[in-house]
Amino acid sequence: MRGPEVTWYLGVAAFLFATGAFGVLVRRSPLIVLLALEIMLNACNLALIAMSRHHGRADGQVFALGVMAVAASEVVAGLGLIVAIHRRRLALDVDRLTSLRG
Amino acid sequence: MTIAAWITLAAPLAAIALITLGGNLLPRRGAGYVATAFTFVSFAAAVYAFVAMWQRAGADRSQVSTGWTWLSAGGFHAGMSILVDPLSVFMMLVVSGVGALIIGYSIGYMDGSDEERRFFAYMAIFVFSMLLLVESANLLLLLAGWGMVGLSSYLLIGYDQHRPAAIHAAKKAFIMNAFGDATMALALFLLIQHTGTLEFGPTFAHAPGGTIGILIALGLLGGALAKSAQLPLHTWLPDAMEGPTPVSALIHAATMVTAGVYLIVRCHPLFERAISVEKTAAVLGAATLVLAGLVALVQVDIKKVIAYSTMSQIGYMFLAAGLGAYANGMFHLMTHAFFKALLFLAAGILIHALAGEQDIRKLRGAGRLAPFTSLCFLSGSLALVGIPPFAGFFSKDSILAAGLDRGTLGYILFALGEVGAFLTGLYTFRLWFVVFRGEPTPFVREHFHRHHGKEGPLWMLGTVGVLGVLALIGGWIQFSPIWHPIANWLDPVAPPLANPTSTEEAIASALAVGLGVAGIVVAWLMYGAARVPVPRLAFVQRTLEHKFWFDELYDAVFSRPAAQLALALDRAIELPLVAGSLDALGFGAREAWSGTSRAQTGLVRSYVLALAGAMAALVIAFLVAR
Amino acid sequence: MTGTDWQTTTLVVLPFAGALAIWFLPLARYTAGATAVLISLAEVAVWIDTVQRFDFSSPALQFAVRRSWFRDLGVSYHVGFFGFSLWLVGLTVVVMAACVVYGFWAQREHARAYFGLMLFLTGAIVGVMTAQDLLVFYAFFDAMLIPLYVLVGVWGGPRRGIATIKLVVYTLTGSLLMLAAVIWFGLHAGTFDLIDSGTSSSIWLFLGFMAAFAVKLPFFPLHGWLPDAYREAPPEVTAALSGVVSKAAIYGMLRIAISKFPGPTHDVRPAILALAAVGLVYGSLYAFRAPDFRGVVAYSSLAHLGLIVLGLFAGNDLGYDGAILQSVNHGLVTAGLFLLAGSIERRTGTGLFSQLGGMARGRPALATAVMTAGILSLAVPLSANFAGEFLILAGVFRQGWGWAVVGGFGVVLAAMYMLRAISGVLHQDVGPAVREEALDLRPAELAFVAPLLACVVALSVWPNGISGRAFARGTGARQTVATELAGMRTGWTGYAPLEAAKK
Repeated sequence: MRGPEVTWYLGVAAFLFATGAFGVLVRRSPLIVLLALEIMLNACNLALIAMSRHHGRADGQVFALGVMAVAASEVVAGLGLIVAIHRRRLALDVDRLTSLRG
Repeated sequence: MTIAAWITLAAPLAAIALITLGGNLLPRRGAGYVATAFTFVSFAAAVYAFVAMWQRAGADRSQVSTGWTWLSAGGFHAGMSILVDPLSVFMMLVVSGVGALIIGYSIGYMDGSDEERRFFAYMAIFVFSMLLLVESANLLLLLAGWGMVGLSSYLLIGYDQHRPAAIHAAKKAFIMNAFGDATMALALFLLIQHTGTLEFGPTFAHAPGGTIGILIALGLLGGALAKSAQLPLHTWLPDAMEGPTPVSALIHAATMVTAGVYLIVRCHPLFERAISVEKTAAVLGAATLVLAGLVALVQVDIKKVIAYSTMSQIGYMFLAAGLGAYANGMFHLMTHAFFKALLFLAAGILIHALAGEQDIRKLRGAGRLAPFTSLCFLSGSLALVGIPPFAGFFSKDSILAAGLDRGTLGYILFALGEVGAFLTGLYTFRLWFVVFRGEPTPFVREHFHRHHGKEGPLWMLGTVGVLGVLALIGGWIQFSPIWHPIANWLDPVAPPLANPTSTEEAIASALAVGLGVAGIVVAWLMYGAARVPVPRLAFVQRTLEHKFWFDELYDAVFSRPAAQLALALDRAIELPLVAGSLDALGFGAREAWSGTSRAQTGLVRSYVLALAGAMAALVIAFLVAR
Repeated sequence: MTGTDWQTTTLVVLPFAGALAIWFLPLARYTAGATAVLISLAEVAVWIDTVQRFDFSSPALQFAVRRSWFRDLGVSYHVGFFGFSLWLVGLTVVVMAACVVYGFWAQREHARAYFGLMLFLTGAIVGVMTAQDLLVFYAFFDAMLIPLYVLVGVWGGPRRGIATIKLVVYTLTGSLLMLAAVIWFGLHAGTFDLIDSGTSSSIWLFLGFMAAFAVKLPFFPLHGWLPDAYREAPPEVTAALSGVVSKAAIYGMLRIAISKFPGPTHDVRPAILALAAVGLVYGSLYAFRAPDFRGVVAYSSLAHLGLIVLGLFAGNDLGYDGAILQSVNHGLVTAGLFLLAGSIERRTGTGLFSQLGGMARGRPALATAVMTAGILSLAVPLSANFAGEFLILAGVFRQGWGWAVVGGFGVVLAAMYMLRAISGVLHQDVGPAVREEALDLRPAELAFVAPLLACVVALSVWPNGISGRAFARGTGARQTVATELAGMRTGWTGYAPLEAAKK
């Protein structure tokens, strides 16, 4: 059983990654930024799995599993932070959270 | 025989362990009994070893016994081993015998002191160290014992911990001896490099001559000079009189300070390979004996007079050892141990009775209240001056005779020795006429404290009595022209370089006795009968009172430059470079990074953009590079 | 491997496991301390067992464990003992046990954090001294720093902030240089394993390693962190720093810098000997000026470590054996002195000589302990310290008599400053800070001081127990360090006169 060429998968992954990156850069709501991050991660997963299949080795799939675990924990932490920010009645706007300034 | 020697060494160690671990379980006086008993065990074992050795043939008398390998590295080995031969048995007898007597005396002297246990533990440490020094079969252990006696000397001089003078004197003694230890260690390094071992036998057999040999001998001589308080490393001994009187008697008169003589005799093959150094030892000994005799004339502290006399007498022993008259030097070492310990202990009875007063101007006439002590002191004084038939006559005069047998240098040294004999008579009997024959001062009459109606505790009087007899008969063992068992006994270990004839012996004796008597007569004229006023020469007086300015010289040359060097280092290196460099680094970093920190806007999206840009740049770079 | 190779891993892992247990279990303050004491004593017991099974005649690595970690990079968890590392580890477990007991006696605040860190430190040091893989070595070497920073920064004296910053800046700089050297060396050799990799002749790599060790030692002129850290750290941490952590640097110099870089060692030797000699005199002069007890011991440490480096770089058997022997002695004695300094400070609130004095009267145990430790430290003859210094100086004498003369001068200076320190605390007039109520040493204090001093006294009876067993002299399969070191010995195989005499 052979599906489409690996190039197609990589193309979709690149498109998804660009979409995510664009979202992270332009959106101001932390919630959407998180969402966009997830899209980027899944783009990577797609590329990993596609290449893994292409080479006929399992390494990429193992990595993809790892990335999923990371993504899940990241969402937990990120959402928790957002709730905490909301509780303290701060603006949910990444441009106004600048306490990292040196 | 070797087992007896091991017991000699181990007995004081057992005493230390008992006293230290016993702590409060042991009554205060008990510590004294323990120390005395174990030192007597030591002495008994030494006597047994002596008897066993006596019965053996000459070649069989020297035995090495190794307990275990103490230290090794590569091909270098040094065993925990003892050498039992005529010389070491001779020293064991002197050390443990005199040691046991003096520790017994201390039971009376220290009675009632706060920390008797500490005192007796220290005394036992000393006896152990000294025995280790004389019994060791290699130079490394000898150096170990050498340093250990320095340590116990430090501990005992500073026994009165609250008196700054005592602590200062203790430190001074230790540091000057550490200097001597260091030069000895350097000599040992040279020996290791050239012979690969420090065992006496192979070392002596293979030791190099020439310049290396001279350096080795010089290093050893440095140690000997420091330990025996000879010029120019002598300044610590008079200060060491801050210690309790039994300590002065045992360590700073009878045993430890004579270790330098033992070293030269033990290592005579090394010195004979560098004969110029051996002669240097003789010259320094002669110089010390005259110088110390002069300084003793003006001292007003009874113990310091005896201390300078000790330096002077050790000068004679160095003279003997340096001239190659080894047996004569050892003989004088033995008789000196008897009569000098006696002088100190007798003086100690007076000091004890007068609550620690040592100034002869205040002690004037104290001897009249203590007839037995006076008698013993007189015996010691006559032995010191060398009046027949007291011990010093037999031992000192044969040293001077050896000078006549060794050429021009020998004649000069002989002359200095005779001058020393005159000075000895003068300063010894100055003390005698002032302290023992003068009219008692009000201070003495008021404060003289009789111990249960006697002059002192029985332990003290008994010891002094025994030593008084020894000072009289101790010299009869050997009378050079007629019989010489000590010379025969030591001959296999250290064959002499000088063999004076009977005529030379007679000349030396006659001159020495004559000059000694002359010294006594002058002392009587000045101090006893007061017929001649004591000459007053301001400059000479000042020079002598300042002990020829050695202390001031060392202070200016060593102590102050060291302190100033440390201060200069602090200003020049530590503050600007080591501490300052860190500060400069910190400030510089803060300046540099304050500029960089402006790039941190705090806007997450600017960071992300930077990340993405960097990634893109990297990807492009890789593509291009490919 | 035989069934006895569990010792090494146990020695490394046991303290870490103990640290984790104390951190995560909800132990009461007292229980936490007691647990830490028990674990450190168990560590000593395991070490004693190891010594009994150790074959001192074999030059090979013993009790070795090797588990592959990153196969591609040639990294493996590889630990084991040589003769000399066995003695250094012994020093570590004994001194650290004494330090933990001190902390227990002193009732440190935040007990769980504190005791966990002390055990963590123990494990890291043992790891450094057994590691046979460069990356493992580096990991343990830096793991050693973490607890030190925290221990100095949290439990230290009033100026602990500055002390911590200096410690961090100095040691991190050194560590980074070493990391670069480790990576470079490993990639070039194709493996990070110390047994498998050969030697290198790169002087830069050598200097990179030496930088880290010299800072950690500390070695003149990189001792800028020493005065503050030694004075401000809690006494038991100072004891660990000077007694044990410095020996990790000694181990590193011997195991890596000297045995992996014979060429550069030979080339740089005069410079290192010169710096060591300067450090010896410099430290001694400074110790003579220090106004407080800890300052004297701190600078005397600088001097003594200079002496040990003199021995290490003497390049012959006498120097190596002496350096190992002296490392153990110095560790035990200095740790004892710092712990005693701590006991004195707890009684009087100060370490300044101007405020102290006369403490000997009525306090026999304290006086005996301070006096014993002091005279051992100044290397009084017949002590193990004397034996060590004698071997070192005899060894370095072969590189040139001048070094030994400087060393001998240093020994005389040691007598001067140490006697000054002893007298400043114990003798003469009673100082203003010494109150009548200040007690003699308590039994608990004797429990941490007496064993340390007893070890040195035992070593004084038989210093050859270490000096003769630090490096195997077997003629069998000569491998590893013994061979590497043997290659550099400056041709001192025998003694011509003696050999001639035997024939």
